[in-house]
Amino acid sequence: MSLESAYEPVIGLEVHAQLLTKSKMFCSCANSFSGGINTLICPVCTGQPGALPVINQAAIELGIRAAVATQSTIHAESIFARKNYFYPDLPKGYQISQYEAPYCTGGKIETVLKTGEIKWVGLTRIHFEEDAGKSIHGPYGTEVNLNRAGVPLIEMVSEPDMRSSHEAGQYLRAVHSILKFAGICDGNMDEGSFRCDANVSVRPRGQTKFGTKVELKNINSFRYVEKAIDFEIQRQIDCLERGEPLVQETRSWNSAKGITEPMRAKEQAHDYRYFPEPDLPVLHIAPSWVEKVAAELPELPSAKRARFKAEYSLGDYDAGVLTASKELSVYFEEVAALSRNAKAAVNWIANELLGRLNAVGKEIDASPVSVAHLTALISAVESGRISGKIAKVVFDEMFQTGKDPESIIAEKGLVQISDPKALEEVVRKIVESNPSQAADYRAGKVKLFAFFIGQAMKETKGQANPALLNELVKKVLGG
Amino acid sequence: MTQFRKYGVQDLLEGYQRKEFKPSEVVAACLGAIEAGNPGSNSLLEIRPEAALARAKELEGRASDMAKLPLYGVPVALKDNILVKGWKTTAGSKILEHYVSPYTGTCAERLEAAGAIVLAKANCDEFAMGSSNENSAFGAVKNPWDLERVSGGSSGGSAASVAAGFVPGSLGTDTGGSIRQPASLCGVVGIKPTYGRVSRFGVIAFASSLDQVGPFGRSVWDAARMLEVISGYDAKDATSSRGVVPRFTEALSNSSVESLRNVTIGVAPEWMEGLDSEVKASYEASLSQLKALGAKVQEVKLPHAKYALSVYYLIAASEASSNLARYDGVHYGRRTPEAKGLEELYSKSRGEGFGREVKLRIMLGTYALSAGYYDAYYVKANQVRRLIQKDFEEAFAKCQCIAVPTAPSTAFRLGEKIEDPLTMYLSDIFTLPINLAGLPALSVPSGLDSKKLPVGLQLIGKHFDEAQILHIAAAYEKSRGPLPFAPWKGGTV
Amino acid sequence: MFSREEILRVAKLARLDLSSHEVERYQKQLGRVLEYVKELEALDLEEGSVKHVPRDAVAFRGDTVMAFLNTQGILGNAPSLHDGGFSIPTVVEHE
Repeated sequence: MSLESAYEPVIGLEVHAQLLTKSKMFCSCANSFSGGINTLICPVCTGQPGALPVINQAAIELGIRAAVATQSTIHAESIFARKNYFYPDLPKGYQISQYEAPYCTGGKIETVLKTGEIKWVGLTRIHFEEDAGKSIHGPYGTEVNLNRAGVPLIEMVSEPDMRSSHEAGQYLRAVHSILKFAGICDGNMDEGSFRCDANVSVRPRGQTKFGTKVELKNINSFRYVEKAIDFEIQRQIDCLERGEPLVQETRSWNSAKGITEPMRAKEQAHDYRYFPEPDLPVLHIAPSWVEKVAAELPELPSAKRARFKAEYSLGDYDAGVLTASKELSVYFEEVAALSRNAKAAVNWIANELLGRLNAVGKEIDASPVSVAHLTALISAVESGRISGKIAKVVFDEMFQTGKDPESIIAEKGLVQISDPKALEEVVRKIVESNPSQAADYRAGKVKLFAFFIGQAMKETKGQANPALLNELVKKVLGG
Repeated sequence: MTQFRKYGVQDLLEGYQRKEFKPSEVVAACLGAIEAGNPGSNSLLEIRPEAALARAKELEGRASDMAKLPLYGVPVALKDNILVKGWKTTAGSKILEHYVSPYTGTCAERLEAAGAIVLAKANCDEFAMGSSNENSAFGAVKNPWDLERVSGGSSGGSAASVAAGFVPGSLGTDTGGSIRQPASLCGVVGIKPTYGRVSRFGVIAFASSLDQVGPFGRSVWDAARMLEVISGYDAKDATSSRGVVPRFTEALSNSSVESLRNVTIGVAPEWMEGLDSEVKASYEASLSQLKALGAKVQEVKLPHAKYALSVYYLIAASEASSNLARYDGVHYGRRTPEAKGLEELYSKSRGEGFGREVKLRIMLGTYALSAGYYDAYYVKANQVRRLIQKDFEEAFAKCQCIAVPTAPSTAFRLGEKIEDPLTMYLSDIFTLPINLAGLPALSVPSGLDSKKLPVGLQLIGKHFDEAQILHIAAAYEKSRGPLPFAPWKGGTV
Repeated sequence: MFSREEILRVAKLARLDLSSHEVERYQKQLGRVLEYVKELEALDLEEGSVKHVPRDAVAFRGDTVMAFLNTQGILGNAPSLHDGGFSIPTVVEHE
């Protein structure tokens, strides 16, 4: 038995997601990533003496949406709490969060694994909190920018349900796509609006007690989450195999070296001294509010997958691909609806467009091929104006230039030849100039049929209507 | 000019109406009194004569608005934990010695919108922590009745400046008695409104679940007028009440204040231990007077009131330890010049910037919230707080108002209690439970003791029923008759 | 009476640099205050009574952006400002 299979990894993730509100959690400053240093600030989010927090209703509403989307239980009464610690990007000396009484507990997330198997990962809780500012480390010291201070967040804490880096990665993708689909978070990992920490431990297979937990930070991409967890699992197994005890600690992922490193141990353990935030009343979330939010909830990835399969007769794979993001699913549905040809839409998007986008590192919303252009291309093929083969040439050009298919077809004279007289003329010429092949065909060497088709296509630069050409070759050779 | 010293808010408003004098004359008179008297009493910190005179002139240009402005031309002082944009706000602390307010607190904004003239910021105990105003980084406030004695605290400067005649009215804050106790010791009226009645936005927090802003005046009417101006819902304070604010002064002028025939006043004899004999005598005389006005007196029980001191210090210190974490030398306020590294920057800036009482309470609160002690201290204190609230709920089923002395003694000598925090804390035993229960209460002068020092009577009301205690206080005040003015300790004006 | 170590532990948590004289004072004073509040221990409280003091006024803010116009007033109070940021000695660790 290999060491890997002798140990079982246990993984839980904590996701911090910024909420897509216009203003901050407790004040009217803009919730925006842009803006010069310390321009989006006010007495409240800079912790000026005497300033007080007032809850942004939209933040609570997005939190309710997240709770509904993850089938969590929403509590009618919850309490904000202060988490006390000193840090330069935390101007009040405490973060307003929720502790003993979060607004939401006990949800679950549908996670699709590469085997196609579905795993439900438990969600322990979701709670509200405010983001901290940002420290910029420069040559002269550290500069603190408080533009981000007070931006609304939800923290989603999973159960320790995951058993591999793949499961963790897929869980994180599922959470990411739910939040984006429901318009809760923009999911931008580069700008830090979607962040993740992982708790990783290993235990001998069969043991029910959890092993010593290590918290991993600084793993802010899907790829790094998987890599960091894999590294950490191996490190812990190696440690145990050497007979060394594991330390409960926080480690940071060093993406350059591809390893996790211990963070500088604080001289004393954290003592956050949580207590109920006296500046804020109890947060009441009435069932009627939850119902209203649930009724307005946009379709979520798993429901969309199921619907795509049923409505467009898609397989698991294509349904999964086309619901990978909200924008992609919208793109697909628009093309399918406008072209009234879902099958063609799936083929073009899944087989042609996504590969090309991937190669140039673009997302669907930056696609050079617009919904209207792809629809036009599909109908050009359907109407027989161009062949499927020509269509690929046109598509390449569309992807490179962003032009519409009609002008490409016109500019390059790619319109399909569907005039029987003109095409028959071409076929006759070819048959006449290849008498021996014609004789052989007529003598029963039917495989030569393809030769004549190929010659005709060459002659017409591929523009011959394939069905008509077939018919005419048969007619001329047979005649 | 001296006569303005004795003019109250109501006197000024009537005088302006009758065009007897103008705001600039009143401001000039106040400034004169301050110049003569403040060096001795130390009750005011930043004073802005030019700005006040300019504002007075501006108001004179708007004399036609007089009827619409309930505090037209009334000079006021604000406790120095209330922010006014562009003014220094120090909270009596070295750590904020040079802090310039970037915005204005709601109560100050409302006073100014009502036509008041902010003349000065009033000295106070550091971060409103104290009962004698000896904890100010800018020196103790002296009582206008006897400069050897304390003004009470923590709003000592606000109380003393009204008693001395520097301003006819002022604002203070009250977390455990910090308006009522100095009002009592300085012989003025001070009101602590119901928790949530007045916005706390722009008021430096000491203990958020207890803090409340309130007015000082030389008469019940004067204080009531200021209260009605600053009260009411504020969208910037999530704990402020949406309740409608009655026109307190209108009720005082309309109702027959003399009659207390329909009023039952609760008394709690078991609470009266450790009372100075002269204070006790004054209290009993006040009760007789209230009875003479027609009030019925009813005994009530407040069995948990005796725990208020313990409960208060645990809760207030816990909240304060968190509220004062922001003074860390990073974003504003004092930064130690000698920091090597961040940790030193924090601990030295705070160690140097805070005074000893503030540090004691930060230590107490940090300890009470720390791992392993939270349940025993903070949680337990809140449970007992609930019992104290229940006591009052039950008591108020039998009466409309509870009357107790405001403070167990009259003004004590400077330095007398400063070395012993617990003895000092005992000055507040009659005021603390009211903050814990969130109730409104006021202190109204009930005479002088044999040392010619003022004594105060405290009237406690039901939630959001300031009108009732104001009514009783006004009736009492009228039947008590005028009290002498604090003896003038300044030069000649 | 509080032990010296206990005072130092709390002072560290509160980020208060105390002189040895202050440590001694707070050993005594904190000890006395905590001795006094022991009276609460004797109180028999029902299980599960409220931990938090509930208050009713729920007030939300609408999600509208309103820029604060006096950011200069905020930055003007900074003890040290560099490139528009609140400047401090370099920090390595992070929460």
